[in-house]
Amino acid sequence: MPEPLVVMEAVTLLSPEGRPVFRDLHWRLDRGARLHAPGGAGGGCTALLRLCAGIAEPAEGRIILDGVAHEPGAPHPFLARGALGWVPSDGGLAVNLSLLANVALPLRFALNQDRREAERTALGWLDQAGLGERVHERPAVHGNRESWMASLARAGAKGSRLWLVDRPHGGLDLASIQAAERILAQAAQDPDVTLLLVGGDWMARLGSHLQIGNGQVSPGRKA
Amino acid sequence: MTPSDAGPGALSLPEYLAYHLGAKVRRAFAQLGSVSWLLGQGVRGALRLRPEQLKVVLEVTRIQIRFTALDALPICVLTALLLGGITLLQVFGQLSAYGVESYLSQILARLVIRELGPLMVGILVISRSGTAMATEMASRKLSGELDALCANGVDPLQYLLLPRLLGGIVSVFALVILFDTVALLGGFLVAWLRLPLSLSFFLGALGSAIGHRELTATFTKCLVFGTAIPLVCTAYGLRVKLSTTEIPQAVTKACVVSLLVLLLAGALLSVLIYA
Repeated sequence: MPEPLVVMEAVTLLSPEGRPVFRDLHWRLDRGARLHAPGGAGGGCTALLRLCAGIAEPAEGRIILDGVAHEPGAPHPFLARGALGWVPSDGGLAVNLSLLANVALPLRFALNQDRREAERTALGWLDQAGLGERVHERPAVHGNRESWMASLARAGAKGSRLWLVDRPHGGLDLASIQAAERILAQAAQDPDVTLLLVGGDWMARLGSHLQIGNGQVSPGRKA
Repeated sequence: MTPSDAGPGALSLPEYLAYHLGAKVRRAFAQLGSVSWLLGQGVRGALRLRPEQLKVVLEVTRIQIRFTALDALPICVLTALLLGGITLLQVFGQLSAYGVESYLSQILARLVIRELGPLMVGILVISRSGTAMATEMASRKLSGELDALCANGVDPLQYLLLPRLLGGIVSVFALVILFDTVALLGGFLVAWLRLPLSLSFFLGALGSAIGHRELTATFTKCLVFGTAIPLVCTAYGLRVKLSTTEIPQAVTKACVVSLLVLLLAGALLSVLIYA
């Protein structure tokens, strides 16, 4: 049996106000799994993604990603080699860089591609995301939709092994949904790629249902 | 009751003062520790840079130098010119009283090169770039940009801190040289209006006044100030946690602490080099 990609052992996560979001959580995310949590305000879906990425620090317990535990303040080797596709609700782009530079940056930094190669790859993925003509614009001139799509393109360009995708703020138009579905379906063609998707009814088609609530995570039934 | 709850009535005055002063000293050491940790991580990150990462860092460094040094040229030149002239006027008045105006250029050179140049440039860099760095870091942290960088395999200390350190050192160094040159030139212009002073005499006296100690002091201060300002401002910017209302507080603290570090380090270096 292959080793799970993410293992959470007795994890307790507190909100900034001290309210428990997860309490004594034991959960594992298998390699190649495609999971979708419907998400809802305050449900803990985003927190689960942040825990998997090592961005949120649990009050208790430990999180093991690809066989290595997250340590506070130390870059995780899985992240350092660019294997994580992190797509937060707001896109998480650097505001002082163009969309092209945003997507190319991790390719240069984590995957050691030279600038030309990284920009060529980034251009291809931004084109797939429907942003081919706006690649030189900065996130500030765009709405949240474009930032989120660029973030999805960034995850694709890196050849991510684990995709942590949060619902886009403000939703997407039909063309963007179709483009996002194409990108995620393309990623899912690789059986080793793991998808953990939150929110968006259209994302439910791409993964099995995951129930998050009452401080726990459990497999759920499709609505 | 803990000592923090207790007033001077519950504890003796020396105990009360010792407790509260002790807390401040502990906090100061904790902050010094976190800034030192950041510097250590920055150096560690620099040693681990791969060739393509180095290219990215140098690209960002170039932008930092443009903002910190090039964009500060007009204000730096104006300040230096005025300060050189004003300093000379003050010094001239004192020297005239003793009839030793011939020492004018030597005193001016030592004053500007040893102390005023690095100090004024440091203050300019704190007010222009230090505040910007603290604000930028705080905003990036609150907006989740730093988290996104980490998650995407970009070490923020390599990508954000290193270029600011390198840019700070190069910029402070370049600005100090410019400042000293313009301040001395401004001093000469004022002196030339009031004294029968030739440029060749002025330059000759300058040459004899500038020795290896002046150069050592200037270069050491450039290195220390250029490292300390971005480091302190970045560290304070990164200390915000939840709310945008923390940003102005972080920026104010970054400015005050940078200025304090500048003055303390400047005084310490002067004592070490000239005492």
